[in-house]
Amino acid sequence: MDILLGSIVAGILLGMVIALVALGLTIIFGVMDIVNFAHGEFLMVGMYAGLFTAQATGMDPLFTLPVAAVVGFLLGLLCYVGFVKFLLRGPIVAQLLGTFGLMLFLRNLALLIFGSSDRTIHKGILVGKSFDIGMGIIVPATKMAGAGLAILAFAAVWLLMNRTKIGKALTATALNAQAARYMGVPTEKMNALAWGIGGGSVTVAGALIVNFWAVNPFMGLLFTMIAFAVVALGGFGSVPGAFFAGLVVGLIMEIPGFWDFFTYTFDWQWMADVPMTSFKYMWIYVAYFVIMVLRPRGLFGWKQ
Amino acid sequence: MEAVRNSLDFSDFPRIDLLIAGAVFFLFLVFPLFPHSSFAISTMIQFLMFSIYGMGWNTIGGYGGQVDLGKAQYVGIGAYTTGVMLIRWDVPFWFSMPIGMAIAVIWSFIIGYPLFRLKGHYFAIATIATSLVLKDLFTVWPFVGAARGLEISPVQFPPPDFRRLIFKDDIHYYYVILGFFFLSILYMNWFRKSRLGYQLRCIKDNEDVARSLGINVHWAKIKTYAIATAFVSMVGSFHVCYVKAIEPVDIMSLDLSILIALMAMLGGAGSLWGPIIGAGVLIPLKSYLKEWLGATAGLVGIDLILYAVIIMLVSAFEPRGIWGIVEKARRRKRR
Repeated sequence: MDILLGSIVAGILLGMVIALVALGLTIIFGVMDIVNFAHGEFLMVGMYAGLFTAQATGMDPLFTLPVAAVVGFLLGLLCYVGFVKFLLRGPIVAQLLGTFGLMLFLRNLALLIFGSSDRTIHKGILVGKSFDIGMGIIVPATKMAGAGLAILAFAAVWLLMNRTKIGKALTATALNAQAARYMGVPTEKMNALAWGIGGGSVTVAGALIVNFWAVNPFMGLLFTMIAFAVVALGGFGSVPGAFFAGLVVGLIMEIPGFWDFFTYTFDWQWMADVPMTSFKYMWIYVAYFVIMVLRPRGLFGWKQ
Repeated sequence: MEAVRNSLDFSDFPRIDLLIAGAVFFLFLVFPLFPHSSFAISTMIQFLMFSIYGMGWNTIGGYGGQVDLGKAQYVGIGAYTTGVMLIRWDVPFWFSMPIGMAIAVIWSFIIGYPLFRLKGHYFAIATIATSLVLKDLFTVWPFVGAARGLEISPVQFPPPDFRRLIFKDDIHYYYVILGFFFLSILYMNWFRKSRLGYQLRCIKDNEDVARSLGINVHWAKIKTYAIATAFVSMVGSFHVCYVKAIEPVDIMSLDLSILIALMAMLGGAGSLWGPIIGAGVLIPLKSYLKEWLGATAGLVGIDLILYAVIIMLVSAFEPRGIWGIVEKARRRKRR
């Protein structure tokens, strides 16, 4: 029983961070209808930013979030102004391949600068500590703190989108860019801002994830696909959708844990024979495919 | 007979195009007779393989406008079918290649049916997802060698062997793939003038209009997807005999899928010569950059950085590719 509960708790905690990863993607997609393949690479940049700030200043890695946010905001802005702006004029194939080129660029730049080795955080207030929250469930403190901070960041973005004038302008651009332009909304600036916010929120997620996940230049694609699955499930462009879908995808990522639970509970040999941990990420892709085919709008989406 | 005549009929191109193409193809034919390095000929084989991949992608992606980024799964299916059949049951290449194509086409029908309910970005990401699912499955399936992949040992199958397509010298492979290359060009020449080809261009321009003209859009897309699949799977089968090894992480990787789409787009999607031009520019560039900067200078990744910059520049500033530039220049001249 504690395996099952432990898996659920772990899945939900991971899901909160993943929701933050997907938030940036869903904002960018909602505002300007472009799929950013480099999203996982933005996350990687955030992870490196958090890691190196922590190492250089001796701060605890959990307090490097502002640095990561600034780095991500600038990165998103730079990508939009220097590159993505030109992509928007082209056909859809050019947009897809263009952001893929961006992804390749960032990935290999990281490879050139940082090398291909895994890097992890070794010290910090919470690293290596864990809570026992009862019923035999032990939660690593870093994950707990990561999930909590992810909720805070999420709430901040939600407030920005729903309670401020800038948020209204962003939403207007997302709903109908041309009409928004007639109403005096500077849509070009809003697009740039969407990339800034998107980049900032994903690098914050990166600085949280680096506390419990090793970073190397190749880890971006996995998170890009996870973010796509979350955004598809929650609905392209929906902020609350991204949150709930993040929780669901976090649980999907814990499928090997559930599999173990059923294997032990029913003591079935055939279940023990299936190497479930190798399929760990496959379920995300399957989930994406099934969701898209059955319900292309997602759970909360308004874009077809 | 009509189809054969149509496929041999290139008369709607300007004469200068045909002269250049004829000269280049003649050079391809006689190229191995001149002294050359083994690096040059392997680059040539890579180029021919990727231009066939690109031509396959061009049917659905170029003429049809459906951005398919999951072609690597069919490379994998073709390669695995040939590899497994050769190693386990000693089936010659010329039998296993059509079987691989058939399996790939059946699989493409199965996933194509739900896939084509999606459009645009959603379709593109879904193709990636299917490809990655298949890759994960093949990585753990012991029957096909799991994560280690397959290897064709030269002891078990001594070269030269035309039936199994096992040679020692790259020249033989070169001529085999060159044959496939010419056949593919003829097929594509027929395809672009066929009923399906015109239907696809209509679908690309405006799907609603296509539907109102009585075109079964869904079925036309699925059919074209299967054609593209057959091309890609054919070269996948060739690939395993040429390289004599399969690694699932390599042969089904997303990078390969993207590369295939990139060839066609860089050269000019939706034109007969586009994928060939694209592969002719990218493949030599890629392998020489890797050789000079990656291996010689010891800068890991810098070749791919340059490569990514090229992708970004092309997609931002000339999304219609090299052929688009040529056509623009021509239109200006005519005016």
